[in-house]
Amino acid sequence: MEAAKRASMQAANAVASAMDDGCGAGAGTLPGVCASLAFPYIPMQESDPPRYAQNDAMRAGTLFPGLNLPFHKEVRSRFPNANPALSELMALDFAIQELGLYLTTHRDDREVLDLYWSYVRLGKQGREKYIEQYGPLCETDITPGSFRWLNDPWPWDLEGND
Amino acid sequence: MFVYEKKLQYPVKIATPNPKLAAVIISQYGGSDGELGASMRYLSQRFSMPYPELKGLLTDIGTEELGHLEMVGAIIHQLTRDLSDEQIKTAGFDTYFVDRTAGVYPTSASGFPWSAASMAVKGDLIADLTEDLAAEQKARVTYDNILRLSDDPDVNDVIKFLRAREVVHFQRFGEGLRLAKERMNERNVYYLNPSFDS
Repeated sequence: MEAAKRASMQAANAVASAMDDGCGAGAGTLPGVCASLAFPYIPMQESDPPRYAQNDAMRAGTLFPGLNLPFHKEVRSRFPNANPALSELMALDFAIQELGLYLTTHRDDREVLDLYWSYVRLGKQGREKYIEQYGPLCETDITPGSFRWLNDPWPWDLEGND
Repeated sequence: MFVYEKKLQYPVKIATPNPKLAAVIISQYGGSDGELGASMRYLSQRFSMPYPELKGLLTDIGTEELGHLEMVGAIIHQLTRDLSDEQIKTAGFDTYFVDRTAGVYPTSASGFPWSAASMAVKGDLIADLTEDLAAEQKARVTYDNILRLSDDPDVNDVIKFLRAREVVHFQRFGEGLRLAKERMNERNVYYLNPSFDS
């Protein structure tokens, strides 16, 4: 009884404080915030959000713990399931991709931008090392001796990730 | 323009061929909520997007979906390699085999070929981004259903990754809508169509 009363008081307070914050006629209230009516409401991800290490991000399918929402029938991830140099490059590229996508909706997040650029620099170095050892990633990559672009395996081959 | 990079976003290495499973997973290649439709939807919608964040969002996600299309194609290709005479008769795969052999063709599991009718470009940012939110959810459910149908750990490892991407994209589209709203008429977001009226 007491708990129910407290809950209803809290709800009333949330509505009252939302009104104080200026939720006008065009806005409805969610607990604690004004929200516009007839418009989808998805909260912004906080700035400089917590992040996984690169290999853990590959295993989760996201760099951000807050967005790791697995299905009950999932198996334990097998990553890295590729040769170590390729896995390392994939994990770094994935972190770069996740940060880049985050920045499209958080362009003013300076911490993440600095991290993004530092990963991009690392990615450029990693790429050069990889190409030297395993062959071109792009058709225009210059490889010593011969045109190696056509060499098997291709990425979709069974051996493509060995 | 687009430039091809000779690697997958996430490794695909399937130890055991399984044509029956391939016949189910093909839906994420060319089904109504599959990766081909996803990439075409986003890469087409972006032309009429009025704000830079939205152009960037649709370009990034549409491009990533092309990478997912390649990964799903790699799964199908590896699940249908070195098939025996017995395996091509597998119920569920035989009807695919008669038309496509072991080629990878954009179709749904039920045999309906990929159709632009399964996606939309409305030329209105609220309508288009709301469609995108729903599209990410539908793709997520298809991956959930594949996880229910498949016991192959090599396949499920990749499906888990692809499914997680749908959740991240859903969040980003939602953020895109919020950013767009800040630029629209604050009293009535439907007062005009910012993708068309300037």
